Amino acid sequence: MADRNPDSDSTPRTLLRRVLDTTDPRTPRRPRSARAGAQRRTLLETASSRRLNSQTKMTTRRHSHGDRSISGSAYVQASGHLEEQTPRTLLKNILLTAPESSILMPKSVVKPVPAPQVVQPSRRESSLGSLELQLPELELPMTLAPGLLAPGRRKQRLRLSMFQQGVDQGLPLSQEPQRNADASSLTSSLNLTFATPLQPQSVQRPGLARRPPARRAVDVGAFLQDLRDTSLAPPNVVLEDTQPFSQPTVGYSPRVYRSLPCMPHTGAEDTELAAGCKAQSSGPGMQTNSPEKPAQFLAGEAEEVDAFAPDFLSTSSGVSGEDGVEPLQDGVEEAEKRMEDEGVSEMEATGAQGPSRAEEPKGHTEVTEAEESQGTAEAKGPGASSGDEDAFDRAASPELVSSTPESLQARRHHQFLEPDPPPGAAVLDKYFQHLCDDLEVFAAHAGRKTVKPEDVELLMRRQGLVTDQVSLHVLVERYLPLEYRQLLIPCASSGNSVFPAQ
Amino acid sequence: MEEEAEAEEQQRFSYQQRLKAAVHYTVGCLCEEVALDKEMQFSKQTIAAISELTFRQCENFAKDLEMFARHARRTTINTEDVKLLARRSNSLLKYITDKSEEIAQTNLERKARKKKKSENGNHNSRELAEAGVVESEK
Repeated sequence: MADRNPDSDSTPRTLLRRVLDTTDPRTPRRPRSARAGAQRRTLLETASSRRLNSQTKMTTRRHSHGDRSISGSAYVQASGHLEEQTPRTLLKNILLTAPESSILMPKSVVKPVPAPQVVQPSRRESSLGSLELQLPELELPMTLAPGLLAPGRRKQRLRLSMFQQGVDQGLPLSQEPQRNADASSLTSSLNLTFATPLQPQSVQRPGLARRPPARRAVDVGAFLQDLRDTSLAPPNVVLEDTQPFSQPTVGYSPRVYRSLPCMPHTGAEDTELAAGCKAQSSGPGMQTNSPEKPAQFLAGEAEEVDAFAPDFLSTSSGVSGEDGVEPLQDGVEEAEKRMEDEGVSEMEATGAQGPSRAEEPKGHTEVTEAEESQGTAEAKGPGASSGDEDAFDRAASPELVSSTPESLQARRHHQFLEPDPPPGAAVLDKYFQHLCDDLEVFAAHAGRKTVKPEDVELLMRRQGLVTDQVSLHVLVERYLPLEYRQLLIPCASSGNSVFPAQ
Repeated sequence: MEEEAEAEEQQRFSYQQRLKAAVHYTVGCLCEEVALDKEMQFSKQTIAAISELTFRQCENFAKDLEMFARHARRTTINTEDVKLLARRSNSLLKYITDKSEEIAQTNLERKARKKKKSENGNHNSRELAEAGVVESEK
């Protein structure tokens, strides 16, 4: 817009007036002023002003979203006293339509610095013009009253911006904003703007990201060691090393294939199934498993599994010998079962409804490893060892058959490419363990053996996600994609049919 | 109507305050005991914080208990619900389970006693009735 000045023979004041007229109609709140503006526009419309229109519109459109919010606030301010076409509003419109080089804070709050920022050093002419304008501004006392908001806001913005600058550059500007006169504040703002170019670098981290990203380096090794030590004592074993990641792909694939044929069995044949699958998979699996596991994992698992061994071996009575390797096997399977439980329980929960994956996103908000665990779950469902969580494993297995083995394979290959578990894995495991225990207990509390959606909802209620104000359906609508919503929220369709059936 | 609601609010609020005061007093007593035991002083803010915490946690417990009872399709809160609530802390759960077993036992004993008494009473009443009948027949 600076280049407009030589073009038009008008003063900056008329220029601003044109600007104001062009931007006027956009304020939704003031139909009167819009009409007045339209009238004036028709009066004043010249080629240059038309060009102005397009340019201002272009410039405003080109600006970032921050600017939109700024313009929004400017509109609010402008609408406050738009009855009179005051220089104040004109000025605001200048500020709106500042050229691209205006340095806007990327994410920073609308409040801080829209006003002083926008007046650029490159636009010194207009700034001088605005200096001129300030005099009539002061002369119009009535505008000050409704417009007190604006200077207050500007002052606030100024203070913040000045503070930022002061912090950054040590400019002694703190004196300025204390003066009440708008002229002085504006001049100070003009002074400030010369310094604005330096701001964005420091304010790359807006107020939102106050803390440095990495607070303290957690010694993962020590943590895992502690966890291992403490986990041995209590009866419920916590998986400290996420099982699937340390599994080699070679060792796993035969197990998958072996386990798949086990799937058709359902219901009460838990132990036989587990035993059968173990017997099948333990053969090829163990050979590949044992050499390829890391040594420490073995040690940890062996100790861990000793706690489990009584549970396991009692139920897997069918599996013969090789006790040395079998406890490892069991430990591995048990660990995998833990991983799968999250996926399985959630899938089980929706066993009645649609595809199993539909429900996965339900727990996905909390379960970051749900995908992977589901991968393991789908294969390991039938192959899972006995335990108290088996009840719903079995029921889920028939639905798991639907997923193709190839996709499972592909997924698992992806998972097991990295040998090390991610650093937060132990904590996540504990968390998931708690979740699953809760779900199990809730199901038992209702006298059931299968985890149903009501249990998941109760869990979410305890977590505070579902409250009296926010119901489950609201969450579904908010966070899940549309396809899942159709599957989860019962909806009536033509012919008196409700899907999903309740 | 609004006045009634306001009065009710006031009443509820005053009840709440009384409850909070009671909790605060109890917490204070307990803290004194612990202080004597461990020879460490408790500041006032600590006691206030603990009592506020206890109060809010009790509110949470109440909501959870109601949720659990509703989940089991009951309208009354049971010992099962309480046990479910306490499951996080092993020692607490053990304690509560023991207590509940104790209570169940005493209940059974009471019932047994009552049954015996009622049987005796039935016998007595029957005898009395028979006696009465006999007397009346006479």
